[in-house]
Amino acid sequence: MKNEITLQTRREFLRTTVLGSALSWTVPTFLADTFAALHGEAADSATQIVTGKDATILVVLQMAGGNDGLNTVVPYSNDYYHNARPRIGQTADKILKLNGDIGFHGAMTGFKNLFDDGNLAVVQGVGYPNPNRSHFRSTEIWQTASDSDVIEKYGWLGRYFDNACAGADPTVGVVIGRQLPESFFAKTPQGICFDNPQNYRFMSPEHPQPGQTDTTEAAYEKLNELEMSSPLPDGGPSMTPDDNSGGSIGSLPAGMPMQGGKAVDFIERTALDAQVSSEEVRTIAARVQNQAVYPNSPFANSLKLVAKLIGGGLPTRIYYVSQGGYDTHTNQVATQQRLLQDLGDSMKAFVDDMRAQGNMQRVLVMTFSEFGRRVNENANGGTDHGAAAPMFIVGNKVRAGLLGRYPSLAPQDLFEGDIKYNVDFRQVYAGVLEDWLKTKSAPILGKQFDPLHVV
Amino acid sequence: MLKPLSKDGWNYETAAHLLNRAGFGGTPDEIARLTDLGHDAALSSLLDYEKIPNPTPDPVWAVPDLGRAERLKAIQAMAPEAKRQAQQAEQRAQNQHIIELRGWWLDRMARGPRPFQEKMVLFWHGHFATSYDKVRDAYFMWRQNELFRRLATDYWLRLITEAGKDPAMLIWLDQAQSHKEHPNENYAREVMELFSLGEGHYTEKDVTEGARALTGWSLDRQTEQFIYRPFFHDNDDKIFLGHTGNLNGDDMMAQIVRQPQAAVFITGKLWNFFAGQPPADDLNKALADAFIENARCFKPFLRVMFSSEEFYSDAIIRNQVKSPVQWLVGTARMLQCDLPPGFISAAIIRSLGQDLFAPPNVKGWDGGITWITTNTLLERYNDAATLVQGTTQQLTASDFALKPGGAGGAVLEKAAQRVHIGGVDVSKILTPDERDDKNKLVASLQHRLLQSTFSNEQDKALSDFLDSRPTLNDADIRNVVRLVMSTPDYQVT
Repeated sequence: MKNEITLQTRREFLRTTVLGSALSWTVPTFLADTFAALHGEAADSATQIVTGKDATILVVLQMAGGNDGLNTVVPYSNDYYHNARPRIGQTADKILKLNGDIGFHGAMTGFKNLFDDGNLAVVQGVGYPNPNRSHFRSTEIWQTASDSDVIEKYGWLGRYFDNACAGADPTVGVVIGRQLPESFFAKTPQGICFDNPQNYRFMSPEHPQPGQTDTTEAAYEKLNELEMSSPLPDGGPSMTPDDNSGGSIGSLPAGMPMQGGKAVDFIERTALDAQVSSEEVRTIAARVQNQAVYPNSPFANSLKLVAKLIGGGLPTRIYYVSQGGYDTHTNQVATQQRLLQDLGDSMKAFVDDMRAQGNMQRVLVMTFSEFGRRVNENANGGTDHGAAAPMFIVGNKVRAGLLGRYPSLAPQDLFEGDIKYNVDFRQVYAGVLEDWLKTKSAPILGKQFDPLHVV
Repeated sequence: MLKPLSKDGWNYETAAHLLNRAGFGGTPDEIARLTDLGHDAALSSLLDYEKIPNPTPDPVWAVPDLGRAERLKAIQAMAPEAKRQAQQAEQRAQNQHIIELRGWWLDRMARGPRPFQEKMVLFWHGHFATSYDKVRDAYFMWRQNELFRRLATDYWLRLITEAGKDPAMLIWLDQAQSHKEHPNENYAREVMELFSLGEGHYTEKDVTEGARALTGWSLDRQTEQFIYRPFFHDNDDKIFLGHTGNLNGDDMMAQIVRQPQAAVFITGKLWNFFAGQPPADDLNKALADAFIENARCFKPFLRVMFSSEEFYSDAIIRNQVKSPVQWLVGTARMLQCDLPPGFISAAIIRSLGQDLFAPPNVKGWDGGITWITTNTLLERYNDAATLVQGTTQQLTASDFALKPGGAGGAVLEKAAQRVHIGGVDVSKILTPDERDDKNKLVASLQHRLLQSTFSNEQDKALSDFLDSRPTLNDADIRNVVRLVMSTPDYQVT
C-alpha cells in the first residue's frame, strides 16, 4: 500500500510538477529527464529493501570492441611481451602485481581490491577453436555459444530462459540499454530492455481521480493486446539440427528469430512484454537507493540501476550491461586507461552496494569481450583484432584467484600472431550454468563442455 | 530473372508501397497521384530526381576550415589549462554543427523534393557507417553525406573508391595513418567484410595484402583533402584476391568490385534495405545478374528492382519494421506536419536507436526487428504524443520550477523556449464530414496512417474511446491519432 502511494505521488510529480501544465505533458521524455535531474527532489526517497527472494543472480558484462587482454592482465616480467610492445607495453612499476609474473593494469585498483578480498577470479586465456577476427561474427559466437563455423539462431541466455525458466514472465532477463543482445534471443520469453525506469511507461494526458478510468491508457492497452490468431511457439529446447542450419537464417532479418512470421507478430509480443513489465519495473526501481559511491559514467549508471532492481526485489535471474570503446586500433594507452579505471571503480562500487543491501551472496558478475588483440602493437600506438583474452568473475563465493594458465607468448606458440586459448569460453558458461544457476548446461550449450568451476 | 510487375499489379496499394520504401511515404492525395501516373512514370518521378530542382542551401559552416590544422597544432603547444579550454572551444563548435547537420538532413528527408535520393543517402550512411564520435569534425561528416548524395545511384566502383578516399572514412577506419612499415589493417578488413564481399569471401592473407596495397592513401590535414603519399606506399608485389602485382588502393577496389560475390553482396543488402528482409539465394542471384547487366550502376539496377513483381509480393508489403528515421520522417509526411526543431528530432531518433552520424559501429544499424525492444516501443508510443499533440504553448521556467527562484531556472527557461512543437493540424488531415462521423474518422485515419485496417478488437478499442467523449475537440482527435500510432501495426510499413 505504501508503494502505491509513492507511485501515485511520483506520477503526479512527473506529470504536473516537472512537466508543468496539462498542456505540456508531451514534452519529450529525454527533456523531462534533464529537468528532473536538475532537481534533487526527483530522487527516490522511499527505502524498502526486499530480500525475500533468494535465488542466485547472474550479471553479464560485455566489454564491447575486443579488450586487449595482454594490457589488462599484464605479463610484466615477460620479455616477449615487452619486445612485441615497445610503445604501449605496461612496465613493471605501473602494474598492480598479482604474483611475480603478472598483474593488473595500473588503472584497475577496483579489481585489485576485489582480488585481494577474495571476490575476483581471473580466467586466463579464454577463447574458442578457429577464432574469428570480425567483431560481429565473434560477438555472435560468444552470444550464441556456437562453434566458430555454425550459425545459431538463439542466444545462450535465451536458451537458458527457454530451458530452465518456467512461464512467460518477461522480467526473467533484463537488459540495461536500448538494444537486446543476441544472447537474449529466445523462443519465449525474451527478456525486457530499458535504460530509464521512469520513462518505461505509456504516458497519458489524463489525470483520472481514484476509481476513474484513464480512457487513453485503457484504449492503448486494448490496442496492444496480443491477438491469439498467432499462437506463441512452444518453449522447448531449440538445439535441433533444424534450428542450427544456417539456411533458415537466410530469410530472416539480421539473423533474428522471427518464427517465420510477420514483423508485426514480433512487435505484438514485445508490446505485451512492455505492458506487463512497465509498472513492476518502475515501482521496484523506486524502492531503494544506491548505497555506494559510483563513478559518473554511463556504464556506472547501468550498474547502479541493476543494484536498485536487485535491491527492490525484481525476480530477474539475468541482468545484462555493457561498456563499449575497447576497439583500440590507435592511441590505445589513454583509451584503455580510462575504460579500465571506469570498469574497476564501477564494479567495486557495485560490490559495495550489494554488500550494503545484504545481497552480495546472491550475485555473480561475469565479463566477456569478443576477442583479445594481437600480441604485436601496430604503428599507431594501438593493437589490431586478435584472439584469446581473460574473463573476470566477481562474487562472494567465487573461486578467487587465477584460474587456468597464462597463455604462452613465445613465437612458436602463437597462431597467426595471436595467443592461443587454454579455456573454451563455453567451459566457463557451463560452470556458471551448473554451479551458479543450478541447471544442466548440455541442453543449453548444445553439448557437454567440461565445466570450469567458478564458485 | 526478375519478373516485371503486371499492369494490373499497379494500384493504390502498390503505389503506396513504392512511396513508403523508395521514399518516406506520403498523404493519400500523393499516393493517388502516383497511382494515376502508372508504374513507369511513377518510378521516373522518384528515380530521376536530377530533373527536380533542389533549393536546399548548404549549412553556412559547411566550407573548408583551412586554418584548422594550424590552430589545433598551436593548441597542442599551449600550457595545460589554456590547452584544455581551447580544445573544448573547438569541440563545442563542432558539436553544435553536428546537431545542426542532423536537423538539416532530416529536413531534406521530410520536406525536400527528392525523397528517393535522400533514402539512398540514408542507405549509404548505414552501409559505409561512419561516426562523428571518432571523426570529431562536422564538416567532414557533411562532406561524406554530400558524397553519398552526389553518387547515390552511380557506378559501384566509383562510389566505393571515393568512399575510401573520403576524409571522414580515412579517419574513421585509420587509413590516414597507415604506413608501409606497419600497415593498419582496419580499412582493408572492413572494406571487404562489411562494404563489399561479406565475411568468408576473402582470407586473412587478403586482409594483410590489401592493407599493404592501401598504404599511401592518406589525409592532408592542411587542405582537408585526400592525398596520395608515395613514401607511405609499399611498392613490393602483393597477392590480393588471386591478383598479383604492385597493387595500389585503386587496383584493390577494382579487383573487389570485379568479384561475382561483390554483386551478390551489395544487391542483397539493397534488397534487404528496401524490401525489408534478405533475399533468398535464387532471388539474390537474379538481383546480382541484373546489377552486372546494368554495368554495376545503381540507378538502372534499382529501376529493375522496383519494377519487379517480387518487390510487390504479399510477404514484402507492410512487413518491414520502420527505422526510427522512417518512423519520424514518414509521420511528418503522412500527417502533413513539421518536424520538431532539429535538436529535438535528432534526440528522438537517437532515443529510438538511430543516431544519425553516429551509428553504433562500422556495421551500421542491424535494422529489422532489432529496432523494437520493450524500451524503444514505449518510446515510440510516447514520441507519437510529442509529434501529434505538440506543445501548444510556449513553456516557461515557471512550468518547471519546484521551488520559486530555485537553481536551474534560467537554464530551464532557455531550454523551454526551444521546445516548441507545432503538432498536427486536424483540419489538414480530416474533412468536416470525417470529423463528425466517428466511423469515418477511424476509417480515414487507418487509411492515412496504416494503408490497412485494424482488427475488430482494435476498432472497438478506438470506438470505445471515442464514445467516452461527448464531443470531440482537436485535442481529442489528436489523441486518437496518437493512439493509432501507439500500435504494433503503425511500426511496420
